[in-house]
Amino acid sequence: MSSERARGAAITGIGVIAPNGLHADAYWKSVREGLGALDRITREGCEDMPLRVGGEVRGFDPAGLIEERFLVQTDRFTHFGMAAAALALDEAGLGRGDPAEPYSIGVVTAAGSGGGEFGQRELQKLWGQGSKFVGPYQSIAWFYAASTGQISIWSGFKGPCGVVASDEAGGLDAIAHAARTVRRGTGAMVVGSAEAPLAPYSMVCQLGYPELSTAEDPDRAYLPFTERARGFAPAEGGAMLVVEDETRARERGTDIRAVVAGHSATFTGASRWEESREGLARAIKGALDEAGCAPEEIDVVFADAMGVPEADRAEALAIADALGAHGSRVPVTAPKTGTGRAYCAAPVLDVVSAVFAMENGLVPPTPNVFDICHDLDLVMSRARPAELRTALVLSRGLMGSNAALVVRRGGDSAR
Amino acid sequence: MITAELTFDDLAGLMKKAAGVTVDPQRLKQSPDFPFDSVGLDSLGLLGIVGELENRYGQSLPQDSERCKTPREFLDLVNSTLKAGA
Repeated sequence: MSSERARGAAITGIGVIAPNGLHADAYWKSVREGLGALDRITREGCEDMPLRVGGEVRGFDPAGLIEERFLVQTDRFTHFGMAAAALALDEAGLGRGDPAEPYSIGVVTAAGSGGGEFGQRELQKLWGQGSKFVGPYQSIAWFYAASTGQISIWSGFKGPCGVVASDEAGGLDAIAHAARTVRRGTGAMVVGSAEAPLAPYSMVCQLGYPELSTAEDPDRAYLPFTERARGFAPAEGGAMLVVEDETRARERGTDIRAVVAGHSATFTGASRWEESREGLARAIKGALDEAGCAPEEIDVVFADAMGVPEADRAEALAIADALGAHGSRVPVTAPKTGTGRAYCAAPVLDVVSAVFAMENGLVPPTPNVFDICHDLDLVMSRARPAELRTALVLSRGLMGSNAALVVRRGGDSAR
Repeated sequence: MITAELTFDDLAGLMKKAAGVTVDPQRLKQSPDFPFDSVGLDSLGLLGIVGELENRYGQSLPQDSERCKTPREFLDLVNSTLKAGA
């Protein structure tokens, strides 16, 4: 344990492809300003479904970042993931192709559903034209592990690779997995999640979720912590990070943007929101323990913000249970109300926001939310200046996973 | 009956369509012995091309056609099969 603690896991690269920004800096600018990107879903074949509002990634052209042969054999969720990985590696100053030490870098992603759009297209060929018309890449493109595999092949990174399938909270679990892998001796991990749930087949799969908002108005579809909460709006896109051995990062002279300090996860069952209170509180306490962090040290909380009244209440109570009196004083925010929830990618985007928030001394606001009915200091309307050294990011999944991650500001870790 | 024949131009078009791999047809003609691997065409990509050809000609290609290593080897196999089947 002590040797694991000795190695810090530093975030040295961030890549984002999100509804509100096709680059990490553009994403943060939108988040900081509280700009909403929720809109009517316009993707082909989706217009007539009872799910109207979501966060679409528009104007995305992966061709500038990823070679065509990888695009042909992969789904949109992998296009997002590969593009975000390319941006993160670029920022971290890590090359690809044939790196000097290919086994020193690994890849781990979290995925909620895989490549639904690609799978639908091939299944339509199967039933429309016959089995001989199904392309061979159907065998790999729909698979939830596709993004990890393709990023590894494309980058030439041959270190420990994996996929976390643990529900929406898996985005945080993947980052924790990467941090642990680095603490065990791997030089760096490319980690994160990207999802593409806004396609006809994938949307039909979501229609059964009672937590889904079917509201028509983009500004009112996703209003967590308010009396008008009526579910969540989904989103596509995601983020990839480079999580690197802190010492290695210092030796390379690359910027350490933040440090992954603690994580814990629990499971309390699908849609059992009342029970998620205890599960989430336990996850928060576990993450604080691992980080060696007192509740009062948490300077900002990025909430899960499910947007379902019972779930919101459970989260507010979990924060109070775990942080005590500090729970009603600490600034809480949920920038995802501006974009929707990109399933496993949602908490990864929150970690990105947390890093920028700490760097800029600004708690970003919760778009569209103006009047809350819980005992939380939710930051609304505009960003709030604050000295931020430590952030807590929370996530829950529809299937019952709860997770908490503590990240610390980069410059502070040398103390 | 006219015997169909697969040309280097056809193959270049299929490599682009089925596998997203761009190669100059002239290069295929001039040096048809480079390994498919070297341009990033793997066996799944070649299997996609085999499927396209089988649908186009309404005829099966030999098992393991997708294991051909070079354009020349693949073209010879396809054309000999088409000729035998005609």
